[in-house]
Amino acid sequence: MKTSKNYLPLSFFLLVIASCGKDNPVANNITLHFDNTFSSTTIVLGDATSSTATVNTSADGQLHHFSELKYVISNIRLIKADGSEIPYNINDLDNGATVVDHSKPQTLDYILSNIPAGEYRQLKFGLGVRPELNTLDEARFPDFYAKAGANDTQMHWEWGTGYRFTKIEGFYDTDNKQLSIHTGSTVEGTNGEPDTYTQGVDAYRDITLTLPDNAVVGSNAPKITIKADFDKLLSGKTNTITLGEGNATPSTHAAVNMVLFVDNLGGDGSSDISGMFSTGSVEN
Amino acid sequence: MEQIAYDNPEIPLNVPQGFPSLNTSVDKNKPTKYGVELGERLFHEKKFSGNNTISCASCHNQSSAFADNNVQAVGIYGRVGLRNTPPIQNLAFMKFYNWDGNKLTLENQPLVPIITHEEMNSSILEVIGKISAEPEYKDLFRKAFGDENISADRIYRSIAQYEYTLFSVNSKYDKVKRNEGETFTESEARGYQIFQQKCAGCHSTELFTDQSFRNVGFPLNPSTEEAGRARVTGIPADFMRFRVPSLRNAEYTAPYGSFGQFPTLRAVLDYFDDGVLEADNLDPILKENGNRIPMTEQEKDAIIAFIKTLSDHHFVGR
Repeated sequence: MKTSKNYLPLSFFLLVIASCGKDNPVANNITLHFDNTFSSTTIVLGDATSSTATVNTSADGQLHHFSELKYVISNIRLIKADGSEIPYNINDLDNGATVVDHSKPQTLDYILSNIPAGEYRQLKFGLGVRPELNTLDEARFPDFYAKAGANDTQMHWEWGTGYRFTKIEGFYDTDNKQLSIHTGSTVEGTNGEPDTYTQGVDAYRDITLTLPDNAVVGSNAPKITIKADFDKLLSGKTNTITLGEGNATPSTHAAVNMVLFVDNLGGDGSSDISGMFSTGSVEN
Repeated sequence: MEQIAYDNPEIPLNVPQGFPSLNTSVDKNKPTKYGVELGERLFHEKKFSGNNTISCASCHNQSSAFADNNVQAVGIYGRVGLRNTPPIQNLAFMKFYNWDGNKLTLENQPLVPIITHEEMNSSILEVIGKISAEPEYKDLFRKAFGDENISADRIYRSIAQYEYTLFSVNSKYDKVKRNEGETFTESEARGYQIFQQKCAGCHSTELFTDQSFRNVGFPLNPSTEEAGRARVTGIPADFMRFRVPSLRNAEYTAPYGSFGQFPTLRAVLDYFDDGVLEADNLDPILKENGNRIPMTEQEKDAIIAFIKTLSDHHFVGR
C-alpha cells in the first residue's frame, strides 16, 4: 500500500502531460476562412462610382459589382476520415452560427473551438438557418440575434420573423442600376412533407465540401479556406440570371425570383450540394 | 408569503350560426379569463415600442374595428409602413393573417410589429425588460399563467387569447338574419340582393371573405417590397394577389385596399365599375366580365347601404 501511494503523484503528473501536452492534445481549433470572390479574384466592395471595386461580368454579359456582401453560416459539421460526424453547436446559434460580412475582415475567419483531435476529410454547413431555428428567438439566442440585427448588419427579416440568409447590395449594367438581393425562408412546416407543409419557401441550403487534404486536428490547429464564388450568383450551375426591372431590386424579397438566386448560391439540394462554395486549401 | 391561487376559468368561444370553424391554434391556446385580461392590457401597452409611444392599439383602434383610418400604417417616429392596417375582428375564424397570409397562427404575429423598423422598432427582450419593471404585471402574469414569470411565449399567447375573443357578430345584418326584430330597409334589401350577385363570389360566408388570395387589378403599390401573396409563397401566379378582406365594419375602416388606394367605399365600387388593371393573373371573375364589375349608380347606393348593415356598433363602442 505504501509503495503504490508513493507512485500516485508521479502517475497523476504523467496523465496531465499526456492529455494537455503539446505533443498529443485531445482537441484543438479549426479556423474556417471565407474568401469571397468573383471567380479567382477576391472581391473589393465599392459604391456606384467606385474605381476600385471588383467588377464582374455575368454569363449573359452584364457588368456588376457589390457594395455590401453578407451571409449566414450555421449547422457546421465535420466529417472524420472514418466517416463519423462531429456536429459543431448545430442547435445553438449563439455558439454555432456566424454572419460573414465582407466589409469586416474579422468575420471572414470563424474559429471552431475544441474540435476533437483526428483527421477530417469533409465539411458540411448550411447557408442560412434551418427552419426550426429560424424564428428570431432573441430570448434563446441573444448573441446571434444581436449580431445579426445590428444596424450595420441588418440580417433580420422582420415580416417573416426569420433571419436574412444573404444580403447583397450593389450595381449592375454600365449605368450602375441598383441591385439588391436578399434571401430568407418563409416556409411553414417542412418542404416536401405534405403532412406538415402549408406554405412558403425554404431558402436554407445544406453544403457539402470534400477537403483537398485531410484537416489534421491535434497539435496543429488547421485553417480551411472556403471559397465563395459570387460569380455564381448570376451564372450558376442551376440558373443563368439576367438582371432587370423584375428581379434586381428588393422585389426579390418577394421570393418570386429569390429561389433562382438561392439555388445558385447554395445549390439546389439534390444535384448540386455545394452551390458557390468550394474548398481552396487546408493548412495544417 | 402565501401565494393566492386564482380560479382562471376558460372563456368559451361559441361559434355563431353559419360561421366557419375556429382556427386549429385556438385549441392549443384557449382563452382564459385572466389570459384575455392580460392580453388586453398588453395590447394597449406602449412600452412595446422602442420609445414607449406605440402600442398595438395605436393602429388597431377599437372605434375603427381595430384598424385605423390612415392610408398606410403609421408607427414609431411617424414612420410609414408598407400597407393599410387590417381590422382585428373574428380572427379566431381565419386561416390566414395579414394581407399576404404570411402568418397562419395569431401567436406568431406579435413579434412582427415589435421588431419592425416602421412599427415599434423594439425587441422582445427589451419589451420583457420594461414590463418586468412594472409590479402590476407580475400579478397579471401570475393570475393568467400560475406564476410571475414573464416570457415571450406568454406575451404572444395572452395577446392571441384577447384577439380570439374579439367577435363582431351583432350587426344589423346579424340581427336580421337571426330574426331578432330588425328588418332591412328597401335600399338595404335591394343592396343585399345585388351584393349576392356581384360581390359574394369573393366576399362570401358569414365572415364576408372566402379567405382566398386574388389579384383584382387594383392600383399597384409602388414599393419594390410589395409582391402580395407571392412574397410568401414564391409562386409567380401569386404576384399581387391579396387576401380578400372581410367587409364587416367596413364603414369604419376607410381607406380601402392593401395600401389605402381608395378613400371611400364609393371609390372602390366606381373603380370596379370603370374597369381594373389588366394582369396575367387577374381574377377569372373579372377577366370573364371584361375586367370590370358593371354597376349603376343606384346599385352602388344600395350595395353601400347593405355594407353599412354589417356595422357592429357595440363592437366598435360607438
